[in-house]
Formats: sequence, C-alpha cells, structure tokens
Amino acid sequence: MIKLIKPLAAVATCLSLLTGCASQSSSSTELIERTAPITMNSVAFTDYDLKRTWPRGFGQMENGESYRLSLVQHGQRPSATGTTEVYVVLRNHTDYDYQIEARTQFFDQDGVPVDVKPTWQRSTVPANSLATYRELSTTTQPLQYRVEVREVN
Amino acid sequence: MFKKNAFIAACTFAATSILVSGCASNIENVQGKPTVYEDASTTGSVGGVGIESQDVVAMTDQMMRDMLANPMLTGRATPPRIIIDNEYLKNESTSVINTNMLTDRLRIELNRAANGRMVFVGRHFSDMVQKERDLKRDGAVDGGTIRQTAAQAGADFRLGGRISSLDAIDRDTGTKSRYSQITFEMIDLELGTIVWSGLYEMRKAARDNVVYR
Repeated sequence: MIKLIKPLAAVATCLSLLTGCASQSSSSTELIERTAPITMNSVAFTDYDLKRTWPRGFGQMENGESYRLSLVQHGQRPSATGTTEVYVVLRNHTDYDYQIEARTQFFDQDGVPVDVKPTWQRSTVPANSLATYRELSTTTQPLQYRVEVREVN
Repeated sequence: MFKKNAFIAACTFAATSILVSGCASNIENVQGKPTVYEDASTTGSVGGVGIESQDVVAMTDQMMRDMLANPMLTGRATPPRIIIDNEYLKNESTSVINTNMLTDRLRIELNRAANGRMVFVGRHFSDMVQKERDLKRDGAVDGGTIRQTAAQAGADFRLGGRISSLDAIDRDTGTKSRYSQITFEMIDLELGTIVWSGLYEMRKAARDNVVYR
C-alpha cells in the first residue's frame, strides 16, 4: 500500500499540471474577465474570443491566458477645444485581418456617466500589425474613460 | 338484401361524417411571430451593401464629435450660427437613402451636445417663422414674450456634402460589393471657404439580395 503512494502522488501532480495548461473556451464561466471589477481609464475586450484569462489549477502561479489581439497602449489628451481625446493602440498577433468594433464610455471624476451615448466604431486590425482607435468626447469637463472592444459579428 | 342496403348507407354516412369533420376546423391555434426590436447602432438581421441604420448612427456620431473638437467652429467667443439640412447634401450613389436621416440626426445630436457652443438656424422652418412674424407685424397676434428682431437669423456656416459609391459584382458567385463614400463639409457663408471637413467611407460585400426602400 505504501509503495503505491508515490506513483499515485506523481499521477495526481501530473493531472493537476495538465489541467492548468488546458485552455478555457470563451463561453466558460471560469473566465476572470466575467467578474473583474470595472476600472476607469481602462480598455476591456468584451469579446472573450479576442482575449481571455482564467485561473490555472492547483500549484500554478500564473493565470492561463489566450489572446488574438492585445493592448499596446492607451491614454487620453485634451483636444484643441478642450474636449477629451482617447486613443487605444491594438496589436494583432494572428495571420488574419480582424474586423473589430470599439466604443468609449465617459465618466466624470465622481464616476458618473456623462457625455452622449457611446456608439460602436468599426475598424480593422491588419494581420500581425497595429491599429489605432480614437474617440472624442463632446464635453469639456475632465473625464475618465472605459473603452470596450469586440469582434464584428 | 335489406341488410346489405343498410350496411352501404351506414358506410356512406360514416365517410361523409369523417369528411365533414375534417373540414370543420380551419383554426390554427398557434402563437404568431412577434416583432423583434433591434439595436439601431449594430448590424441587424437583414443586411445588404447599402447605407444602413448602424452606418447612419456611426457616421453622424463621428462627425458630431469631430466638429466639437474643431476650434474654427466651437472655439469662438460668440457661438457661430450654423445651418445643417439636406439642401446641399447630394446623393450621387446607388444607395437608396433619405439624406434627411443624416442631417436631422447630425443636427439634433450636435445641438444637444454643443449646449450653446453652436447656434443652429432652422432654415427649413423659415416659412413657419415668417408666417408668425407677419401675423405679429399685422397686429393679428401680440408680440410674444421674448423679443422682436428686424429679421430672421442669418447663418455663418452651412453644411454641404456628397454621397458617392462604386459597385462591383462577381458573376460567378453573385457576390456584390459596394464602396460608399460620404463627405461632409462646413462652408463659410460669407467667404466661401471650407472650415471643416469630415469623411466616412466603407466597403460592404454581400450575396443576399436585400431591397432598400
């Protein structure tokens, strides 16, 4: 019986490691993005086919991750009339052009939604290349933003 | 003999009853297909290569935001007077579209967002205003409560533009492709210069035959 403990422990360890390496589908409820807190001045991929992360199995330090597009940088700056311009640079890691839609929701410094209703803007991220999405606010007050990116249906 | 006749009569009666009962119920007691509301800013269940609701929403939203970031239009100490209507927005494309949809949405969204940084002249309502002014000047009605002016408002800028398209069709597959280009330009009504320009372009391909009305 004691002789069996070592092989069993080895098998259990291997199984837990293999479970940790397995990818999660975009429809999985285990994805971290589904319950992640909403943060201001951020970019979110609302289409989990584009990017997703999930907790790995026992003994794994890092979360599992799968992505087709990634975020290079994002930020905001004032326009010539005092409105806010938000920019997001996206990178396509695949060999295929990706048609995406993005929209920006603006919030004031208290986190209250302001500005006009956000509208989806179409864009193409060429294969293995970069693309920039820009959006302007309509008000001149200091704003925070949250950009959402998804693949065109 | 009697029994045979009775048997035939019974069979005839039964057959007639079956036929009559089969025809009696024409009611299909099933629920109808309800109308589905769709988001106007996204591609709907019916889509073709023409200019559709999501394009109208996206292009007018983009133009509105761009105009508000232009110092020639919104950076003035005195808010400029602007006319936005479809009088000078020409549809030279193969797409069927009421250009009022573009100019109306653009004017309304811009007026709401500008919040006094631009003043919009309702030139398409000028006859309505003139009728009321005439009634006031004739004494048929009183002068109202706001003010009286010598004339209706003159404008500083007016929107012009053009919709054009380029069609292509693959004869083997029947796939149709259309490149649409929509230009918007704001014209100085004294000098004739163009103080702001906006361009929206797209190319769509589809195999299904969709009719726009």
